[in-house]
Amino acid sequence: MNYLRILILSMTMIAPTLTFGDENVPDNLILLPVKNDPTVSLRLWFKVGSQDDPAGKEGLANITASMLTDAATQQNSYEQVLDKLYPLASNYNASSSTEMTVIYGRTHKDNLSDFYPLLTEAILSPAFKQEDLDRIKSQVLNYLENQLRYASDEELGKAILYNNVFAGTPYGHIGAGLIESVKNITLDDVKNFYKSHYTRDNVAIGLGGGYDGALVDQIKKDLQKLPAGIVKQVPKPKAKPIKGKKVTIVEKDAASTAISMGFPINIVRGSKEWYALAIANSWLGQHRNQSSHLYLVIREERGLNYGDYSYIENFPNAGARTVPPQNVSRRQQILEIWIRPVPNEARHFALRAALREFKKLVDNGMTADDFKLTSAFLRNFVLHYAPTTMERLGYAIDDKFYAIKGSHLENFRKAMSEVTLKDVNAAIKKYWQYNNMQIAIITKDAQSFKDALVNDAPSPITYKTTKPQHVLDEDKEISVFPLKIKAGDVTIVPVADLFLK
Amino acid sequence: MQRRIAGLYVLIISIIMGSTAMSESIFPYKYEKETLPNGLTVIMIPMESPGLVAYYSVVRTGSRDEVEAGKSGFAHFFEHMMFRGTKKYPGPVYDSIVTSIGAKANAYTTDDYTAYHLNFAKEDLEKVIEIESDRFQNLHYEKPAFQTEAGAVYGEYRKSITSPFSLLNEKVQDLAYDVHTYKHTTIGFEADIKAMPEQYDYSRSFFNRFYRPENVVLVIAGDINPKATLNLISKYYSEWQRGYQMPSIVPEPPQKGERTAEVTYPGKTLPIIDIAYKGDALDPDNKNFVAAILLGDLAFGESSDLYKKLMIQEQKVQNLGSGIPVNRDMPLFEIFSMVKKMEDVNYVRDEIYKTLEAYKTTPVDEKKLNALKKRNKYSFLMDLDTPDKVAGGLARFVALTGGIEIVEKFYTALNNVNPDDIMAAAKKYFVPESRTVVVLKGAQ
Repeated sequence: MNYLRILILSMTMIAPTLTFGDENVPDNLILLPVKNDPTVSLRLWFKVGSQDDPAGKEGLANITASMLTDAATQQNSYEQVLDKLYPLASNYNASSSTEMTVIYGRTHKDNLSDFYPLLTEAILSPAFKQEDLDRIKSQVLNYLENQLRYASDEELGKAILYNNVFAGTPYGHIGAGLIESVKNITLDDVKNFYKSHYTRDNVAIGLGGGYDGALVDQIKKDLQKLPAGIVKQVPKPKAKPIKGKKVTIVEKDAASTAISMGFPINIVRGSKEWYALAIANSWLGQHRNQSSHLYLVIREERGLNYGDYSYIENFPNAGARTVPPQNVSRRQQILEIWIRPVPNEARHFALRAALREFKKLVDNGMTADDFKLTSAFLRNFVLHYAPTTMERLGYAIDDKFYAIKGSHLENFRKAMSEVTLKDVNAAIKKYWQYNNMQIAIITKDAQSFKDALVNDAPSPITYKTTKPQHVLDEDKEISVFPLKIKAGDVTIVPVADLFLK
Repeated sequence: MQRRIAGLYVLIISIIMGSTAMSESIFPYKYEKETLPNGLTVIMIPMESPGLVAYYSVVRTGSRDEVEAGKSGFAHFFEHMMFRGTKKYPGPVYDSIVTSIGAKANAYTTDDYTAYHLNFAKEDLEKVIEIESDRFQNLHYEKPAFQTEAGAVYGEYRKSITSPFSLLNEKVQDLAYDVHTYKHTTIGFEADIKAMPEQYDYSRSFFNRFYRPENVVLVIAGDINPKATLNLISKYYSEWQRGYQMPSIVPEPPQKGERTAEVTYPGKTLPIIDIAYKGDALDPDNKNFVAAILLGDLAFGESSDLYKKLMIQEQKVQNLGSGIPVNRDMPLFEIFSMVKKMEDVNYVRDEIYKTLEAYKTTPVDEKKLNALKKRNKYSFLMDLDTPDKVAGGLARFVALTGGIEIVEKFYTALNNVNPDDIMAAAKKYFVPESRTVVVLKGAQ
């Protein structure tokens, strides 16, 4: 009964009483008091994101958020802001994703009276100076033109995958936007976007830690200074149905090959089916974990790369974190499989190995043993998702986004005792398939890889080392596993052509 | 967009870099430190945490200890091998135990040490002690598993090397050092990584020489009872035999004259300049060293005059920062900047030099110094909110000194730094003779 005890412990000690759901607390207030916490965490959620970027101005939501938190206010120059924040060891930052923008900061209670006005001034009275816009645009352009295209092939692969899955919809560009669009963003664009989206009717207040009631009243009062205005929500994107395996190969002089693939799934967190699918996904590809089956097959047994994972929720900046982020919620998710860079000579084999494992799972479902181990794992592992007040506050806001009753993390742990193997295998069948998906590949000699793919050419693999017989036997099957990719479904794009407009 | 610019390197200066105005102890938790007869040290830090425990095994060996030619990157590679199991708990069994208790487990390697860490529910403490003590004493793997893991390590190198910062880092260290093992990065030279599959026998000797109780410190923080924890540690670790062989690391002779180089990144990037000076190892009694830590932030941090000038007013750079690390031997004190235009690189370089010269002759404003001391105090206090952050934050100090007593001493020293000390540090370290300057340019 180890797990039950942990569950009870965690519910009484980790998660302070959530006032969310209390009829006396308005819907746009999320409170997470933690008595002994010497710090105060603030998260202000504006219901705006890259899906709201106007056509031709992709990147505007992200830049507008930065113009609040990384720039001057009417009270202080940007240099003065930095000077005032400096001794507090506190910053406020903006995180802007597809559907959400969160302005957040944390400070020690001793410094709250100095920190709070700086944070609210940033939101209520930004200065919107041209020089700040120039600086921020230059950073975004450097990211798009240089860093994303050249410095991390795995991040590039993920960006291409998402852009392709959602092409033609408001989700169809990454938050940083497109090069031409960012260049075209003017100060007036920022001012108008701020005016129309940063309204008092479009914000939810999240407060956590050792704050007192006066702060709640103060922040409610202060945010009333924002203009009124209901923001019409962008309709949920309807991704174009994918027929077959659509492959985009980014041609680049790369020493190794990064692969990301996936397709939309019509399920979001909260339902019993989602928790069932989370078990299957954890077994297939728990992020940065040795329990991931893809990791076991591709890295542990064959040593082809550093890791192989899968996701049923958007997981940006995956190379830099070990547990899921908060406040990147979205109404439309995808199943994503991430193969970290493999040697070019093993690219075809690794792609086959991953898709073959995925097919086996979809066809056969999980076994009883794997199910038991994985649900036990998740029941405890979820405890590590939000160890700090700031992270728990992020989850509480996401609970609002998904209209989850109670807390997602608590429901998650509870569900691990309630969901059955049958539920898991039914969810797999309902939401996953392996014939239709987008595949993004960053590699060199794109044409020769295209030829190999469309001909389903065998991709035998040799090792310098001795391998167990079962691995060698399986390799024979993997090396001829049919991917059935049509020539017309493969597009080659030079890296320099990406994210232009 | 984060306001904070990302540091050039993974500088694990960690949380213990601050200072405090308080006279009482800065570290807010009581702790107990014990050493078993075999030399294994264990530091236990009970703290309020919701049934959670962080368990760090700190091996005081890192890429610094890779003294033999052709063996760079081995400490890191060996970290991977530690997950391959024992006869009692082979790799897959070890993994399934960690999975079944839902622990968050991983490891990392730095220049000076290697850390293995698990976060888990307190009920599982004995199980964790059992499996950790087992692999540290009885690691067992066959040659094929060893060779397969070499492929994963090469994969890790491949995923990282596409960053221009990795390339620059490699070049700076290689150029700045002649004999000391800081000449190579922690992941190692690519040629050595490629040759790793051939080094099976060496890997066994690595384990036998370095993975010994007197070279390891356990840091256990969270919801624990120290007495009961110590009993369990004794039960499971007492049979572990001494046998640590300290490597002979050749000290780097003083640098005589500036070194410069250019390196070309195969992709597209803005130019990056890195200016590195030879510094001093961690020593709270060395006033110059302690003052240099503050100097880096005062001269090149977010609130510095030069940051405001180059980043905000003139907008000539994408970032500017410094790294004054805490190391066992002579590290590099670095200032780096990504510059928007190639033709401005020399201008930025000269502005950095001018700033350092000014710090040699003009005392820093007391108000600014106090603001930094306050910043460090709160930064420290705010970062101690989970067992993992407490144990992880102490790991480098534990690795360098064998304990955490130095934290208080270091804090006191930082808090006593005055403007004259800053001037003295500027004069001592930031001189052209001990300087290495590397400019990275994009090929496209």
